[in-house]
Amino acid sequence: MKQHFLTTLKALGGATVLSFSIAAGAATPEIELIIKDHLFFPAMLEIPAGQKVRVRIINQDSTPEEFESFELNREKLVVGNGQTVVFIGPLEPGEYPFFGEFYPKTAQGVVIVK
Amino acid sequence: MFLNSVILVLQEMIEAALLISVLLVFTNLFQKSWDKSFALHTSWVGLSIAIGVLGAVIYSYYTPQISEMFDYVGQEIFNAGIHLLSLLLVCLFAFIVPSARLGKNVMGRARFAAFCMTGIVMFAIVREGSEIIQYIGGIAGQEGNFTPVVLGGFIGAGIGVSAGVLLFYGLISLSANWSFRISMGLLCLIAGNMGSQTVLLLTQADWLPFTPIAWNSSSALPENSIVGHLMYALVGYEATPSILQVSIYILGIALIVISPLFRKPWQQHSLTGEA
Repeated sequence: MKQHFLTTLKALGGATVLSFSIAAGAATPEIELIIKDHLFFPAMLEIPAGQKVRVRIINQDSTPEEFESFELNREKLVVGNGQTVVFIGPLEPGEYPFFGEFYPKTAQGVVIVK
Repeated sequence: MFLNSVILVLQEMIEAALLISVLLVFTNLFQKSWDKSFALHTSWVGLSIAIGVLGAVIYSYYTPQISEMFDYVGQEIFNAGIHLLSLLLVCLFAFIVPSARLGKNVMGRARFAAFCMTGIVMFAIVREGSEIIQYIGGIAGQEGNFTPVVLGGFIGAGIGVSAGVLLFYGLISLSANWSFRISMGLLCLIAGNMGSQTVLLLTQADWLPFTPIAWNSSSALPENSIVGHLMYALVGYEATPSILQVSIYILGIALIVISPLFRKPWQQHSLTGEA
């Protein structure tokens, strides 16, 4: 199931590949991850290998969600209609799935490290 | 929704339940080995749960504000602080309670032991409880969610408490020596895990530098498996821990191993006599 999900994501290709926005003065690049209707947008985040990244998670749902990833060793609560920040990396190239612990059936995504 | 609720609440409950069981086993051992006329009461458990639940309610109420502190890493900083204070209390418990300096002051020993154990359990409940409150409070209000979420939560809590009760009765049914050895081993792992969690949270908040992963055992024992979840709750198992996490975990174990509690000097007679 998970494998199928990943293959579908890959098939979607680079459509959702993010560009980096480097905040003025900050050395760590920041990317945005939006939660809406218990889904992650984009569901695929691409980051370079060996780079620490600041992920700003914006929850547009009124319900809380927990960003969780076993592969990334991350777990963080995002309150309803709120936002938060999680630092990930530097990482080795590979795929690092993540999910929303409160709505795991729909809230799924993956960090692709290249 | 139902199954997810069972698993989520169980995960949070089982950690606190196992911790309470281990500390109750120590209470039981102290009761056996100290002056029998003055028993260390188990009333600290009720008190710590009550304060813990109250603390969890307050903590989850202020979570939106806490979350925004320190440039959005407030949760990590607070939780790391809670883990660190818990580790400090575990160390005080292991170093001061059996200390020879307290001599025959059984009353003082019992009070100090109860103080440490109350604090440790209270912090665990604040941490785990606030997450349950966030989940149930945030999700159960959605249409059609109330019954499955609340029912699942009760079942998860029931399984968690049962696991704790089973562990407690399992341990006290052993000989005092074995009961002590296993609880001591678990206390070492609990201390190591508290240190490791502190490191993980501070790394996630970018307050501690990144260190490479020490090993990757995700193919041998995935974290996302039943055994993996159980090992996570029991010993803080992680498939890809960082080098700093592993170092602090080992340091936590070492701290308990060198503590006087590990050598149980004050109960040599009563315990070895019974075994």
